[in-house]
Amino acid sequence: MSAARTPIERRRLMALVALLTGPTLFLAVFFIAPLLIMVTYSWLTPGLYGGVEWTFSHLNYGRVLGWADAAYDKFDPVYITIFARSVKLAAATVILSLIVCYPVAFWIAQMQDQRRNFFIFLITLPFFISLIVRLFAWVLILRPTGFLNQALIGLGIISNPLEIIFTDLAVIIGMTYIFVPFMFFPLYASIEKLDPSLIEASRDLGANALQTFWRVILPMTLPGIVGGSIVVFIPSLGNFIVPSVLGGANVVMTGSLIEQQFLSARNWPFGAALGMLVMAAVLVLLACYVGILSREERRSAAPKVAEGEVRP
Amino acid sequence: MTRFRWGSLALSAYGWLFLTFIYVPILLICAFSFNSNPVNMMIWEGFTFDWYLTIFGFPAEQTEQTLYVESTRQLYTAVLNSLMVAAVTTTVSTVLGTAIALAVARFRFRLKNFYRALMFAPMIMPDIILGISLLIFFVSIGMKLGLVTIIIGHITFLCSYVFIIVSTRLADMDESLEEASADLGADGWTTFRRVTLPMIAPGVIGGAMLAFIISMDDLVITYFISGVDSVTLPVHIYGMLRRGIKPEINAIATVMLLFSFLIAAGGLYVRSRRR
Repeated sequence: MSAARTPIERRRLMALVALLTGPTLFLAVFFIAPLLIMVTYSWLTPGLYGGVEWTFSHLNYGRVLGWADAAYDKFDPVYITIFARSVKLAAATVILSLIVCYPVAFWIAQMQDQRRNFFIFLITLPFFISLIVRLFAWVLILRPTGFLNQALIGLGIISNPLEIIFTDLAVIIGMTYIFVPFMFFPLYASIEKLDPSLIEASRDLGANALQTFWRVILPMTLPGIVGGSIVVFIPSLGNFIVPSVLGGANVVMTGSLIEQQFLSARNWPFGAALGMLVMAAVLVLLACYVGILSREERRSAAPKVAEGEVRP
Repeated sequence: MTRFRWGSLALSAYGWLFLTFIYVPILLICAFSFNSNPVNMMIWEGFTFDWYLTIFGFPAEQTEQTLYVESTRQLYTAVLNSLMVAAVTTTVSTVLGTAIALAVARFRFRLKNFYRALMFAPMIMPDIILGISLLIFFVSIGMKLGLVTIIIGHITFLCSYVFIIVSTRLADMDESLEEASADLGADGWTTFRRVTLPMIAPGVIGGAMLAFIISMDDLVITYFISGVDSVTLPVHIYGMLRRGIKPEINAIATVMLLFSFLIAAGGLYVRSRRR
């Protein structure tokens, strides 16, 4: 094989090997191997005092799906209920951040160049601030004695403080706040590319504003909407930081459950199985994304590069 | 026509509302870090620098009154740990990420798509999955959790960010320059050093800065693999929040805000100049 190569080809091959050996070894050991071990763990028996016994067990998954005992006769889908709740909260976060970001992306897209760059800078800036600091701000705002309640009481709108913190709503607001950039940039990327002449054409052909939006603008910005929704949904689904800071003990999400299994209950195989549940949801979602993108590509005459999957 | 004007007016009102939503929480933290009310941080009592004095280790009136328990020593250790972890991980992941980006962009080989997928995987995977898989891994090979495990953990996903930024730069770059260099008799290494590297340098620097910021900020993965003794700044603050909120968190947060604003503003400014 290598005898047939010219010296230049051989040198290029050596360069390629030199470039890839280090990263490949590192990622094989510290990224791929840990994932495989996690998958293995989810099929093992938990040890009595933490740790693990190396015997095969399907009970972790049985428990995740709602059967707590080995005979699979008592059905109580408590973990699935918690998972469904996480999905609900993550979906609400996606919808809220869509509502928040979509008009703003339009606003920015129609600005003059210099002004637009400045506003994009303004939106990017908070993204660099520590996540935990941004969350902490909402503790200050939403507490019973917090800023929001003081302001509302001061204005005479309410007389008793609203109990927002430690509820689902607080978690949704918190997640929306920290993931807003993830939604904004994919949306902006697809709205910026929108051809104004198409909107004019739609108007000229007699469509009203709603029809134009529904039949022209929405389909054309769909890749951005789907892309942004996915990059917001994924970190929301497995989140445990936001529920623990803003949701207190009232809001349990799958992420919090996983954290408990690893750091306090010490049932690692069960925690790993719960992790696999989150992972499965993510994979299903990505498959849908790829499906939608390729359908869109087939529909539009000129195939476009997939957008929205790269974070800024 | 008038309807159109109302529409754009509503749009910019919405936009300004959005900016308020983004910035008010941040500004509130800064404002209330000067509040002298030690019991309820959100009820304004008076102006004070005491919380800043406290976190920088100076004696302050407020601190003496409120029976101080939170140690600043832990805070300093956490800051130092964070800076050290970020420095090491930035260096290593910049080298690894750039190497893969170069290989994928400039060479033809069969596993190219595999490497692309490998680089995207950590970005689409929920943090918590990466955290628990690394925790299981380190414990089952008997590695003691600490700074080393945090550094390794950060590198595994920071490579991806560097890879993406450098790849974008490589894609924008004119390949004919490299060909010209080769035609003029430069060998591969010389071409890389004298042509490719200077051209992709902004991408590499940008990737490194992003890696640094993300490493300084990572909470979820670090939380799982940091062990008991070695805590980074975000994990320390998370712990403080869980133990109950104390006024000096405002001051710490404000200092962190300033720090990240400086880095981000600097980075974005440099980038806008280069364009």
